[in-house]
Amino acid sequence: MIKITSKTTPILSGLLLCALALFSALTHAHHVLGRPSYSLNEDSNTPPSMAIETQIGEYFITYMVFPAFPKPNEPGRVNIYATRIDNGEMLDQTITFTVRDDTFWGESIGIGDGAKPEVIGQQNIDDGVYRQGFLFKSRGSYIIRAYFEDNGEPYEIDFPLQVGAASPVGPIGAAVGFIFFLLLMINIVQRKRIARTKIQQGQTV
Amino acid sequence: MIMTHPGLPLYWAYAIGIMMLLLGLLTMAIKAPTTSASRSISLAKLPLIGDLFRFLAKYTWPLLLLKIIFAALFITVITAGLWGTPIVERNLATTLTWNLWWTGIIIAIVFSGSAWCALCPWDNIASWLVNHSIWRRSSSQSRLQLKVPNMLRSVWPASLLFIGFTWLELGIGIVASPYATAMLALLMLILATTTLALFEGKAFCRYMCPVGRTVGAYSQLAPIALRPIDSEICRNCKTLECFHGSDKIAPCPTKIVMGRLQENTYCTSCGNCTQSCPSSNVSWQLRSPSSEAIKEAKPHMDEAFFLLILLSLTLFHGLTMLDYWEGYLSEMAQLINDSGQLIISFSIGLGVTLILPIFIYCLCIGLTQGLLKKRLGAMVTKLSFNKLFSGFAFISLPLAFSYHIAHNLTHFVRESSDWLSLVTNPLGTGAEPLSMMEKHTRHMEMMVSENTLFIMQGIIIAIGFVIATQVIRHRGHRLFAAQGITLLPMILFAALVTGFNLWMLVQPMTMRM
Ligand code: SF4
Ligand code: SF4
Repeated sequence: MIKITSKTTPILSGLLLCALALFSALTHAHHVLGRPSYSLNEDSNTPPSMAIETQIGEYFITYMVFPAFPKPNEPGRVNIYATRIDNGEMLDQTITFTVRDDTFWGESIGIGDGAKPEVIGQQNIDDGVYRQGFLFKSRGSYIIRAYFEDNGEPYEIDFPLQVGAASPVGPIGAAVGFIFFLLLMINIVQRKRIARTKIQQGQTV
Repeated sequence: MIMTHPGLPLYWAYAIGIMMLLLGLLTMAIKAPTTSASRSISLAKLPLIGDLFRFLAKYTWPLLLLKIIFAALFITVITAGLWGTPIVERNLATTLTWNLWWTGIIIAIVFSGSAWCALCPWDNIASWLVNHSIWRRSSSQSRLQLKVPNMLRSVWPASLLFIGFTWLELGIGIVASPYATAMLALLMLILATTTLALFEGKAFCRYMCPVGRTVGAYSQLAPIALRPIDSEICRNCKTLECFHGSDKIAPCPTKIVMGRLQENTYCTSCGNCTQSCPSSNVSWQLRSPSSEAIKEAKPHMDEAFFLLILLSLTLFHGLTMLDYWEGYLSEMAQLINDSGQLIISFSIGLGVTLILPIFIYCLCIGLTQGLLKKRLGAMVTKLSFNKLFSGFAFISLPLAFSYHIAHNLTHFVRESSDWLSLVTNPLGTGAEPLSMMEKHTRHMEMMVSENTLFIMQGIIIAIGFVIATQVIRHRGHRLFAAQGITLLPMILFAALVTGFNLWMLVQPMTMRM
């Protein structure tokens, strides 16, 4: 059995930092606004859609994406319905839709091009709904942001969108990498410790 | 569309209410017995099944086989969560984790005590990775064997992780995301592996794992546990292989000496002692249910807080599935200008639900102390509050467990999953979301009739209260020879919690997925 000494402390701190970095990357990797639910309308033969209901400031917002699982180069659509919480009145403002990459580094730290949002359109109310079409050329995780102002208050609604299949190599790679690194470091420390003990024993004999 | 399950009929609440009143009076009127030995039967000594239990204790491979099956399921869950469909009901990661496992392990405690921990994939995969050995004692160099720092040597880490996971589960909505479910599973594996690689024994299981601590706490109520077959053999044992291990078998990971074991809390049912004992003297035992909670378990402050947190979080789980919850969140969000997923409002709700039962409990302990002071005078010192606090905290166990099971029974019985499709297509490749028709069919197809479900729920809640009063009677008598009116505050606490549990069960409950 060994004690936590000044020699082991840097290793422990390093491991802790790695674990924290990994966990923060994991927690930031996915955005959930409200609870997404997938539904299928039996009366129509449209593909499944995804809907999220949420509340922001003075408004109840319902966000829908068609299709629920868009593929690259396949047109899709975002619909927004917004009604005031107090009197059920519909929102009647211009909504600006922007898109950016949904990555921890791009979003939280602001590294890389993905951090810069791109405007995909401005929409006015049309039959009670704001409709924004989209077409993504490449696979990836994106965040669509709907932005409007009401009574001088800015409203931002972020919405996660996965285009094409997600790449799970990141989390698995991070987990396997972390465990491998941890066991390797401990193995090195243990070997050094055993070698040191042997030398000390040799000196005392 | 959110579907709700109908609640328990009101007459059950009235019937249990009357029972509580009568039992409460009886608890105050009847003196607790001064001595009462718990009865137990070793399953290895029974005719017919005795051979089976002796076989299970002797050979490693049946347990190893089960461990491998559970590890394979765990890997499937991670694969399905990361690569599979985000449709919750079509992905094995979410259905297996939240519909079957999370419900099942609580119900399984009644039949198998803390056996879950023996099969736990986090711990087993971590052990295989770190020890480089499938089951034998290892001399792997991948363990630092550090002493667990003093600040971690309590169940506070588990309590805090439990609160954190509840926040992630219900606030962030991990239950509704296969991806996040897989992430949580991976995180648990990383925590288990890191702790095993750094510290001696199984510090993660002993101090940090919220699942293990919950299973451990509830298994104090279980009628089954690993114990010596003949306690005389243990009493005369000088070598203590169960504690130190043998050449082939590792020592007890949570530092238990089987011959002195009185409470199940920290036994992970790993089976090391059944293998290492040279007299093959350890096996499963049937015993009076709840005897540990009622009298045998020793009270400790950190464990008392864990039990109370467990109670609060159980109540919170129930609350979030009531219709009122959405309304509360909405009102709170408007009050504090919260938006999006209403995380701040949710966190406030969690905080209040966490603190309120503990506050009421403290109030009842204070009242008990006041009443005792009147009766016993100078004997009741300042320290006595802590003693009463940790001693009576065991009443949280039956109250939390009974609601936990009654609540989960609704999910279990009413929320069927299409297991055949899930097993044949665990990733839900190409699957479509549930149609309204399918949702309705699942909602209507119950495992047992609605009446049977209500009867089971009513009986379970009633049993919870009965055990709580037993705890009050015995522990009260032992702590300060408390009896009669001095027990009233704690009886009121048990009645209040049971009443609240009943109220929640009577309400319609939202379907989990
Ligand atoms: S305590 Fe937790 S990690 Fe350890 S075996 Fe039990 S469930 Fe698994
Ligand atoms: S070795 Fe320890 S933890 Fe394992 S079954 Fe025996 S007493 Fe329980």
